[in-house]
Amino acid sequence: MPASLTKLLNTSRKYSMWVYQWGLACCAIEMGAAFASPRYDVMRLGVIPFPSSPRQADFVVISGTVTDKMAPAIVRLYQQMPDPKYVISMGSCANCGGPYWDSYSVTKGVDQLIPVDVYVPGCPPRPEALLEGILLLQEKIQNEDIGARWRGDPIVVS
Amino acid sequence: MSSAEGTDAPAEADASTDEPEQEAPPRDERREALLESVQAELGDAVVGSHIRPGDDLWVRVTNESWVAAGEAVKHKLGCTYFDFLSVIDWLPSPYGKGEDDPSAPPEDPSPDKGAIKQGYTGGDTRFQMLARLTDLRRHVSVTLKADVPDTLSMPTWVHVFAGANWHEREAHEMFGIGFDGHPDLRHIYLPGEFEGYPMRKDFPLLSRMVKPWPGIVDVEPMPGVEDEADDAAEASA
Repeated sequence: MPASLTKLLNTSRKYSMWVYQWGLACCAIEMGAAFASPRYDVMRLGVIPFPSSPRQADFVVISGTVTDKMAPAIVRLYQQMPDPKYVISMGSCANCGGPYWDSYSVTKGVDQLIPVDVYVPGCPPRPEALLEGILLLQEKIQNEDIGARWRGDPIVVS
Repeated sequence: MSSAEGTDAPAEADASTDEPEQEAPPRDERREALLESVQAELGDAVVGSHIRPGDDLWVRVTNESWVAAGEAVKHKLGCTYFDFLSVIDWLPSPYGKGEDDPSAPPEDPSPDKGAIKQGYTGGDTRFQMLARLTDLRRHVSVTLKADVPDTLSMPTWVHVFAGANWHEREAHEMFGIGFDGHPDLRHIYLPGEFEGYPMRKDFPLLSRMVKPWPGIVDVEPMPGVEDEADDAAEASA
């Protein structure tokens, strides 16, 4: 695929990202502030937080404590999303288990279940931190070789 | 309700049915009246009680009369609001506390190391049931307690308070207590294949067995603390 066409495609994709919100704990409050408040106005970044199902979403924000009981639902959510799909892990709990790292019920990071593209650290992260994570995800999408992705080759991020 | 509060008063002294601490100046007539009516209804079934004046009332009953106590307190004494039902495991944790190394034995200098010390109203067993009932008209609550026998089986309260259903399911999965007559004793929170009873004190935190608590490496003094120490060192020098 010509490089200029790839660039056009990637620019289009990164400014039209429908995000599915998977709020599991207190991080969801910060995610709600980032996505639903005029103060942070996430739609100026081309992120649209209104998909009615994971089947219409381009990426998902896993924000909060992932428990072993929630794990099958998250795997199913990820499988329902259409390719190309991305995951942002928001907060210490979703990154690694966080303060509940040694609990009998908490999964030690959502990356044990599904591949994660961007980790946002914090407990909980500020909305600005989530916005920076979204900018990093957009940068990753901009640099993707979408032709390779469609051929099934490994994704090249330059 | 914690074990630390419970060890303040000797358990044996609290186990008597009449309250020796009621001679103390602060009196709580509402809770004393409720305790008297509980004793009048249940008679010998009451094996212990404790009043914190102006605060709370505990009544321990025999495990045979657990259902009868619930019915009497609900229907005859007007405590119709079922607050919660749960279980206490009084076993001292063999894994220490907090951020201790879980493989090291807990530091307990007391002579009765490892002994089980029940809290208010005393007790004879490692596990104790407790249930809190409230009289919404008189605004007074009572915490009923009972020893769980070694068979780890208690009669169910579902036909007394329908709301006890889920509480007993939680007590069943977290502590491994059986409830005779419960209609649907399945896991309520844990995944179906979960093994063990995580709220028991001897349930191991496997993560800490494999790896020390990673948060402990981040301990650093607060900015002001270090400055004061430096200032003191300079002043003395």
